[in-house]
Amino acid sequence: MASGTIALAAALALALTAVGTAFAQGWTASKAMDAIARQPEAAGNIRGALVISLALMEALTIYGMLVAFMLVGKI
Amino acid sequence: MEEAGNVIFSIGPLQVTSAVTTMWAIIFVLALVSFLATRNLKEVPGPLQSLAEIAVDKLRDYFGGLLGEKNTRKYFPVFATLFIFIIVCNYSGLLPGAGHVKGFALPTASLSVTAGLAIVAFFTTHVIGIRERGLKHYALSLAQPLYLSFLILPLNLIEQLVRPASLALRLYGNMYGEETVTEQLYEIFPIGVPLIMNVLSLLFCMLQAMVFTMLLSIYVSEATEEE
Repeated sequence: MASGTIALAAALALALTAVGTAFAQGWTASKAMDAIARQPEAAGNIRGALVISLALMEALTIYGMLVAFMLVGKI
Repeated sequence: MEEAGNVIFSIGPLQVTSAVTTMWAIIFVLALVSFLATRNLKEVPGPLQSLAEIAVDKLRDYFGGLLGEKNTRKYFPVFATLFIFIIVCNYSGLLPGAGHVKGFALPTASLSVTAGLAIVAFFTTHVIGIRERGLKHYALSLAQPLYLSFLILPLNLIEQLVRPASLALRLYGNMYGEETVTEQLYEIFPIGVPLIMNVLSLLFCMLQAMVFTMLLSIYVSEATEEE
């Protein structure tokens, strides 16, 4: 029972953070595409800012994944 | 974390793990390459010297855009050293045998290593801030606006303390997670599939080194900006 609950918790920890991050990253990328289409000469700057903000969002999923690994280790 | 299991030998109370020996090797290789590249500088550079020149040039452009011209010239070595060290550490995990041979493991997939790097980043930020603006101005800048300082100061202090933790966890989580995912893929289907993850790793390793140093330089430029 307990190990089953832990497994479920680990799966949820990763899945829920991934859902949120996926939405946020999709939104960010689409906005960046818009901006590049509107102003192609600023593409370099936009790409730099895009990569950084994507990496910052990615960190949240990574935290979820760390928690998931810790939980899996406890089964 | 998982360090206790893979201690190779101890020097007094210090336990030396595979990550530490790998970092020693990386330090040695980097020092050797820098020494060979700058041993006799010529007007018309040889292959190694031109490689080093291109690297320094690109890094200077990269940090110059973030930090401003003056601070880049002054503090360039700190940032460039951190960047080069982290990127070489990250890529060392892609070499065959990493994590399986005793004494050779991906250093940045260990929380102790990334926490050490984050502590370096923490002190870099504040030492540069205090040097550029003076202790009094720098301390006061954490409590602006003054009439709200009883609210702002605790928030700022917490933020400053959380920053190194998030830097360390980000680097550690990405590298450790990537390694674990590749390993799991290898167990599911050993032929070909882990290669896809390794190609992605080529990108992510560079990205994580970039993100670490870029965040550090953003923090520094925030600490040094005049109001």
